[in-house]
Amino acid sequence: MRSLLNHLILIAGVLFLASPLYLVLVSSSHGSSTLQQLGLQWLPGDQLTNNYLAVFKLASGFSRQVTVVEMLRNSLIVALGSALLTTLFSLLAAYAFVFVRMHAVRTLFWVSLLTLLFPLEARFVNTFQITATLGLINTHTGIVLPTLALALGTLFFRQNFKGLPAEIQEAAQLDSAGPIKFLIDIVIPMYWRCITVVFVIAFILGWNQYLWPLMISTDDSLYTLVRGIRLMGQESGPGMALLVITLLPPLMLLIMCQRWFAKVLE
Amino acid sequence: MASLELKNVQKTYPNGAIAVRGVDMEIDHGEFIVFVGPSGCGKSTLLRMVAGLEKITEGEILIQDKVVNDVTPADRDVAMVFQNYALYPHMTVRGNMSYGLKNRGFAKDEINKKVEDAAAMLRIGDFLDRQPNQLSGGQRQRVAMGRAIVREPKVFLFDEPLSNLDAKLRVQMRIEIKRLQRRMDVTSIYVTHDQTEAMTLADRLAVINDGRVEQMGAPMELYSNPATLFVASFIGSPQINLLPVKLSGQSLVSGDLSIDGFQDLPADKELVLGLRPDHLSLSADQAGSSNSALKIRVDIVEQHGADNVIYGELIGAGSSMDGEPVEFCVKTGQANIPDIESILDLHFDVADAMVFLKETGSRLK
Repeated sequence: MRSLLNHLILIAGVLFLASPLYLVLVSSSHGSSTLQQLGLQWLPGDQLTNNYLAVFKLASGFSRQVTVVEMLRNSLIVALGSALLTTLFSLLAAYAFVFVRMHAVRTLFWVSLLTLLFPLEARFVNTFQITATLGLINTHTGIVLPTLALALGTLFFRQNFKGLPAEIQEAAQLDSAGPIKFLIDIVIPMYWRCITVVFVIAFILGWNQYLWPLMISTDDSLYTLVRGIRLMGQESGPGMALLVITLLPPLMLLIMCQRWFAKVLE
Repeated sequence: MASLELKNVQKTYPNGAIAVRGVDMEIDHGEFIVFVGPSGCGKSTLLRMVAGLEKITEGEILIQDKVVNDVTPADRDVAMVFQNYALYPHMTVRGNMSYGLKNRGFAKDEINKKVEDAAAMLRIGDFLDRQPNQLSGGQRQRVAMGRAIVREPKVFLFDEPLSNLDAKLRVQMRIEIKRLQRRMDVTSIYVTHDQTEAMTLADRLAVINDGRVEQMGAPMELYSNPATLFVASFIGSPQINLLPVKLSGQSLVSGDLSIDGFQDLPADKELVLGLRPDHLSLSADQAGSSNSALKIRVDIVEQHGADNVIYGELIGAGSSMDGEPVEFCVKTGQANIPDIESILDLHFDVADAMVFLKETGSRLK
């Protein structure tokens, strides 16, 4: 009885969380006029093909350069670049915090945690100035660079690395493995699940960026999918279709890696 | 030529805690040395200093006459077996055993040969392609030893390698370690808190207490001729019987008890009489010039199979070192099963009795 109740609560939660996705998916099969007059739809319509074709025919912006393929390319560059580099830096920082046994290193860890208190949005003006000074306005690098220091990733790696028995590190020392060999031969293979998890989270964060790319790029050729949704209009069928397309890559990545998420967070 | 030498080795931690207070030791080639002592006595720290995993605060460690204080663990040519095995969980048995050789630049064929030879010796040849989590505790322990063996190091270090195994397996592995060490003829240091393990494995054993070597020598020498009260009570199972006494004339006195036959002892000091359970007997003819001043009231009889161990309160005695009634224990043949609460006469040879100075623990007789 109790477990039935638990299941009902969980099912209700899943429905609540999944309903916006469902609404977007179903609404992308309706025409713009239906959506404008009646709002989001719960039942499938007949405009599915037309909407998706319209998305791929899009050529917008000042120079008519903004196409879905171009936006997808930008989104992938930004999200992949951000995810790869963020994972790498978090991993290296946490490796130093755990395995380099020096007092200064411990202090640095707390400093890095403090950056959690200053999200990008809180330091937009300064970050913009620095990025401008570096000449990175209207570049992919400019969009990616300020997102790289993910203190949460560092913290996550650190907590996991701390579970590694000291004897393994000592055994590796006796086996002539220096710090770099130890990282590559022992730590990375032992923690590849954690690495995947941080990569996926960083990818989604990078993919969903909106405000910062908007600030740092004025060039049409740098539009990402998330920014592009606006071009299609909020209450339009093709807009909903573009929304679905935008959701798909991170969703697929998440589904692919879901098993490891469960294992790592156990 | 000493294979390994410690000269006034000391370890002080940054917080001021002293783990090792000046240890001197010379170990010959092929010797099996056991460090034994209670937990926190500094024995593991000393071993880790030999391995290079712990910095030396003062003194020198020499391996084959070369000072290695500032040599990294990898370059000291020592191999270590850890208590929790410390196998790399993501590598196969073969991977675990060959990793150190690979890092040292050995050729592939040579590595394979060494690994397969060692695996055959340890009877883990069938498991080479398994991962550690598919092995039992005893098998993991063998892999950990295999990883040490393939390196053919100058010194083997064992840090309580058997304490995670069950009792039966521990005895089995103990014999195997001894056999292996003799066959490979490699200088070895073995750390344990288990005195049976220490006695059975060691060529020489070092009893360590509070960061110092209390006494070092062959196991039987330490058993029959301990230099201090600590060594006497740490070595031997069941433990040595101890009775706080004072000298009066030629007798040792405790409460109403008076034990004759002791000379040349300081009259005004507090002393401790030590009698091993196997030096006590229940009948007079078994001991030489028998002294029979002691009686016990039987409390518990432990039947070990071949022999029995009888525990009982010493009648008429003062209080023990901890201020409790004095309990004595006697090792006797399997035929002796006295009734509980019965009173037994204990006989012993005064020549077997040891006397210690209570204040310093040093041995007087």
